[in-house]
Amino acid sequence: MTTHLQRRAFLGRTAAGLGLTALNTLIDPGLLGAPASTAARWPGAVSPLHFTQKAKRVIFLYQAGGPSHLETFDNKPKLAEMHGKPMPESFTKGQQIAQLQGRPLICFGPQHQFQRFGRSGQEICGLFPKIGSVADDICIVRSMHTEQINHDPAHTVMNTGSILPGRPSMGSWLVYGLGAETEDLPGFVVLMSSGRGGQNQPVAARQWSAGMLPSRFQGVKMNSAGDPVLYINNPNGLDAAVQKDSIDAINALNRMEHRTLRDPEILTRVAQYEMAFRMQTSVPGLMDMSQEPQSILDLYGARPGDGSFASNCLLARRLAERGVRFIQLYHRDWDHHGDVKVNVELKAPEVDQATAALITDLKQRGLFDDTLIVWGGEFGRTPMSQGGNGRDHHIKGFTYLLAGGGIKGGLTYGATDDLGYAAVEDPVSVHDFHATMLYLMGIDHKRLTVKQQGLDVRLTGISGDVVRGILS
Amino acid sequence: MRLRSLLRLASACCLPMAAEVSFNRDIRPIMSDTCFRCHGPDRNTRMAGLRLDLREEALKKTSTGVVPIVPGRPDDSAIVARVFATGAKVMPPAFAHKELTRAQKDTIRQWVAEGARYEGHWAYQPVRRPAVSGNENPIDQLIEARLTREGVKASPEAGARTLVRRVTLDLTGLPPTPAEMAAYLSDKRPGAYERLVDRLLASPRYAERQTQHWLDAVRYADTCGFHGDNPFPAWPYRDYVLRAFRDNKPFDLFTREQLAGDLLPGSTNEQKVASAFNRLNRTSAEGGLQPKEYLAKYAADRVRTVSTVWMGSTMGCAECHDHKFDPFQARDFYSMKAFFADIRETGLVPDRGPKAWGSQLLLPDDSQREKLRKIDEQTAAVKNRVEQKLAALGVFRDRWEAALADDTGRKELDWRFQRPVRAAAERGTKLAVFNDELVDRYTSVGASLVPEKKPGAGLIVASGPNPDNETFEIEIQPGAGRWTAAGIEIHADESLPGSRVARGADRFVITEVEIERKPRGERLPMILAASSVTFNAPGLAEMSVLDGNPATGWGVATYGERDPMLALRFAQPVETTAGEALVVRIRHDSAVRRAVIGRFRIALTSGRHSAPWSGRPGEWTAAGLSAPAAQALAKKPAERTEEQRKVVDEYLAYSHPDFEALTVELAQLDASRSLLEAGIARVVVTEPVEPEPTRLLPRGNFLDESGEVVQPAIPAVFGKLTTAGRATRLDLANWLTAPDNPLTPRVTVNRLWRQFFGTGLTRVLDDFGSQGELPTHAELLDWLAAEFVQPSWNAQAAHGWDVRHIVRTIVLSRAYRRASLPRADLDPRDADNRLYARQNRYRVEAEAVRDIALAVSGVLTEKFGGPSVRPYQPEGYLATLNFPKRDYSASRGEDQYRRGLYTHWQRSFLHPSMAAFDAPTREECVINRSVSNTPLQALVLLNDPTYVEAARVFAQKALQDGKADPIGWAFERATGRAPAAGERTVLTNLRARSLARYRQQPAAAQALANAGEYERPRGLPAAELAAMVTVTRAILNIHETISRD
Repeated sequence: MTTHLQRRAFLGRTAAGLGLTALNTLIDPGLLGAPASTAARWPGAVSPLHFTQKAKRVIFLYQAGGPSHLETFDNKPKLAEMHGKPMPESFTKGQQIAQLQGRPLICFGPQHQFQRFGRSGQEICGLFPKIGSVADDICIVRSMHTEQINHDPAHTVMNTGSILPGRPSMGSWLVYGLGAETEDLPGFVVLMSSGRGGQNQPVAARQWSAGMLPSRFQGVKMNSAGDPVLYINNPNGLDAAVQKDSIDAINALNRMEHRTLRDPEILTRVAQYEMAFRMQTSVPGLMDMSQEPQSILDLYGARPGDGSFASNCLLARRLAERGVRFIQLYHRDWDHHGDVKVNVELKAPEVDQATAALITDLKQRGLFDDTLIVWGGEFGRTPMSQGGNGRDHHIKGFTYLLAGGGIKGGLTYGATDDLGYAAVEDPVSVHDFHATMLYLMGIDHKRLTVKQQGLDVRLTGISGDVVRGILS
Repeated sequence: MRLRSLLRLASACCLPMAAEVSFNRDIRPIMSDTCFRCHGPDRNTRMAGLRLDLREEALKKTSTGVVPIVPGRPDDSAIVARVFATGAKVMPPAFAHKELTRAQKDTIRQWVAEGARYEGHWAYQPVRRPAVSGNENPIDQLIEARLTREGVKASPEAGARTLVRRVTLDLTGLPPTPAEMAAYLSDKRPGAYERLVDRLLASPRYAERQTQHWLDAVRYADTCGFHGDNPFPAWPYRDYVLRAFRDNKPFDLFTREQLAGDLLPGSTNEQKVASAFNRLNRTSAEGGLQPKEYLAKYAADRVRTVSTVWMGSTMGCAECHDHKFDPFQARDFYSMKAFFADIRETGLVPDRGPKAWGSQLLLPDDSQREKLRKIDEQTAAVKNRVEQKLAALGVFRDRWEAALADDTGRKELDWRFQRPVRAAAERGTKLAVFNDELVDRYTSVGASLVPEKKPGAGLIVASGPNPDNETFEIEIQPGAGRWTAAGIEIHADESLPGSRVARGADRFVITEVEIERKPRGERLPMILAASSVTFNAPGLAEMSVLDGNPATGWGVATYGERDPMLALRFAQPVETTAGEALVVRIRHDSAVRRAVIGRFRIALTSGRHSAPWSGRPGEWTAAGLSAPAAQALAKKPAERTEEQRKVVDEYLAYSHPDFEALTVELAQLDASRSLLEAGIARVVVTEPVEPEPTRLLPRGNFLDESGEVVQPAIPAVFGKLTTAGRATRLDLANWLTAPDNPLTPRVTVNRLWRQFFGTGLTRVLDDFGSQGELPTHAELLDWLAAEFVQPSWNAQAAHGWDVRHIVRTIVLSRAYRRASLPRADLDPRDADNRLYARQNRYRVEAEAVRDIALAVSGVLTEKFGGPSVRPYQPEGYLATLNFPKRDYSASRGEDQYRRGLYTHWQRSFLHPSMAAFDAPTREECVINRSVSNTPLQALVLLNDPTYVEAARVFAQKALQDGKADPIGWAFERATGRAPAAGERTVLTNLRARSLARYRQQPAAAQALANAGEYERPRGLPAAELAAMVTVTRAILNIHETISRD
């Protein structure tokens, strides 16, 4: 077995040229004495775990564009009272503003009624009754804040903890730290759905990049149309039997080469071809939802093959069952600069039922308690109106939902001020959030590091505290 | 002693054992990693007032009364006590998560005992050319001296075939052809290897290879990176780099031209193009961005790039705070940034319209320049005539306005949208006509589009098969009437991937429109095409739909132009009788694939003055008068604004019959210019302006303007520039390439070394600071650096800063030519091969993976330079891009088979095959690509159509050219050697089994035998070919094919 020390030694070298190769070579069967078939599996850099693991996997329901906290999970009656009046300057002076730069700042009250849900009586916008029905399972964090006010950099901060390109995304960190519990699928899977709107956010591949970590840790995007994974389908005129035969021949040739040259990279290559073939075999089964009973499809509101957020939620459950470590679902249509009232009405049904269904379904399968579920975007939206009926980007306060492994359900944590502008009570930074996520997975965020340009790079930069108040 | 050597074995592998502790080799790495964070250069995080990176500071009594270091007296030195302490006293403290090993502690103790001698940081010391003697390659003298000291025997020279393949791949990125291999093997005269090297160095392929490395460093890409990630004009810069390496441009000049080509006295176009370097950073066109924030991002990117590429320094760290490890203060960062304060730029860099991408240089050749001049002259003349005519109108102007008002009142200008009776496509597309039927369409609600069912009102919707080119035929029965113009209204819709208007690509291109009377097929001549589009991209002018040339067309290639309308004026009004039918034929024959409209309506008008106008997005209007024109005309002439007068004049010239000839002439000139312009290379360049003041931003916060204004300056640790006035980018470039600058040559030759051994003499290519690695062969690094600046060995043909000379010297060395085979005797002591007793073996880079497959299969197009090309790419890969939403259009013909270097570099979605093999996105400067080995790479080589097609053509050629032994022929082309018996058996069996299968499955055989678009085979039975494809495909997949040994 690879020892912790050996791994440390190799990590120490990642700053250097050969380090990345070494990482691959590290799990070479020649070194491990294991057959090639298991060699492709990365055991994880964190061993033993720093903390007791509360969650084994993460399903991140990423709402790109920046959902308005004020029409979802953060009720602000005071803002409603102030509707139409100038925003008090004490809130906004010297603060970053995006499209509202240089415009009058007018209070814009919440556009939809809130209700209390569950025994916990959590306050949730009435447009999200299904999420309301699982209110006792979720923790509403109303005091998130971030540092980037435009979409692309804000996504980068939420995913990598840094605005600099080249930093690993959180899914890559987790797979690097923990490995995955699957040999047939990537450990980090990204699913993408669009809302039926015109402002679907561009989301760059950088958001699931492995950054300076070897590319084996990068997220793999799965698609509901076309090839489910890039290049997973055999070429026209070449069936599984020929493919298998070809891979066997390739591997036989590679093994012969290895006998002559004794280059361990060759055996890694053999293992990767085996893994590729297993992916080719297992992915179609994963994507095939025809075996799901109608009751489950109805629970999510999923129509197989439609690529909707609902279908992706169901797919997320199937990935969770198969041992994928980090599953990230993007819904891309939350950038409501105009007519936030109608837009949230249109978005709510796209996510409400499926989000709740995922929680319900994981519970009934016994997966809820060791799965961390996260719902939220790259920032929130201004309490001030934009164009009279919309809201601009906002970074000082917004809401996240968390549920599952290690999270206290039925809790509302933190608060923004009376007008929903800034997180004032128990503020949670992106680094705090990341630190908490890693903690739940058994990792000390200060000790999961990789060297780059002399720095011990980590997901949480140089700050971040575990948010103890939301832990069960 | 013994402890220390153990330590060194563990931490730095195989550095020489020295009796005495060296600060740079032994102490600085420990301190940098564990002490400097709190006791280093950064004032703000310094604890206990203690600073250990400077000797005089470390010897001083601290505020708490202890003396950190007493030279020669470890027992009196606080640092020794603290590192050996336990519990709360131990240093580094527990919260740092940095534990010193026993060996490290002993080393510190010994160093203090030996007098705590500090050394200046190695990389900042002057380059010292070590004394070498005789004619022998100094690389070998220095490497072998070390091997001898270590008692290690060098491996023998690699076999000739291995060596030829290695040096050819390293120098050109392509494998040797069998003929090249044979030529070398049969060249028995002395100097054969030198001749081989010189032949390779003289090849344009060498320049392509070097360019690929350089493009990573300068973060060259074809798209802007942020948000919409739209393409920007950069490729002429790549051509500049190609020419620079081809012509072996001295590196100092190469540096000056890129950093400050615009500032060189009498700068040439070539030098201005080079200055695009300063504009290759990512930019954003996202609405609502804070300009100052993005200007700060752009400038910081430049500082990081310059400091990494030339200085091997991580100055980016000093953007928010003084550097933790190296002697750079935040002030140094902003002083460097100030060099770039004279670049004309905006925070929001527009990605569409006439102002897109800011400062640019057009690069017409002489004939283009002449044509442009002529067109502009003619245009000015015609415009002048229009002006004169307008001025002379007098009372006729009033009459025209009155007639127009009258026509408008009677809705005479309105477009009559037709209810097609038939819609058909030539190549399989399904066209459905929605007249009264309900159709899904989107209307705008705030920022979102909302689907709605509405009567189609003549809408034609394309679906089903989506061929690359397509022609639509729409039959209409307008009824009895007299028609002046026809219109095509193109609808934007969320369901359409190409900028919401096309079924593919990022645009639609209508290449021709023809209208005929049905029964007789009489073509109705049209004289003028105009559209509602506000800005036509070069090459997409309206008149192109009437020019009879299938290569040219009109289209929309951006976002924000919804529902564009094209109006086509008949030469003579067309009269139709009741029941008579017209056929409108819309051709899409563009080279851009699937640039085909997806939703449209056909209209006619009988108005004398109807203009193309499509209203606001999502609004279906029949108005034949644009809203601005209507508003202007509604006012009395005297009350019109200047802008409104212009609108009315334009409209008058467009619609008044007396102006028709001039208007048509202008439209033709516009189309000619547009086409000409599309063929003219353009590139973003640096345009110098009066510099903006640069402030030190506290903690990097762009909102905080309290910081002092700084002047351009090099980092203080390196001294001061003496300049007459404000220091410029040219001064910076001159300093970087001054003969006594120690960093630029060391950093550069180290990168070159890595190209030929897979690792640098110091492995950390991008950090020559204290967190980097000491060079394994410091003298060799310095010899190469000195030789780079001023060649003296075997340097008859060399000049100062001669890249090719260094490359040549490296590949001629014995060290380079050694066999790579691992050796059991080396493994325990030099597993990473840092002594160079043997060569290294590693996978080639992404571009070479592609190039090898294309070259050995014979499909490679060798063409030096030019615009980027688009290899096949999986459908929907760009689906999550927006602004505009877009699809991909793979290049056709020879452009499909260009080297990987020329791949369209989409930063946010790099071509997935390139990304799989670790090509960087180039969002940021990268000088050390990783080399991974993943299942996705297997899927690429197995299933990417590029590789399947290459295997198919490869198989074809093997059967045709390798007649007697196609397997051996193919294997040798890919690997440079004949297959061994066992290998041959594996492939022979694969072929036989595949043949049996494909004989049973003729359809599958046909499909595989015809994979891709490259010329199809003739006279080869499909099953035979398909079976051979499985063999060549296996050969393209084996590790050896994509490795350099």
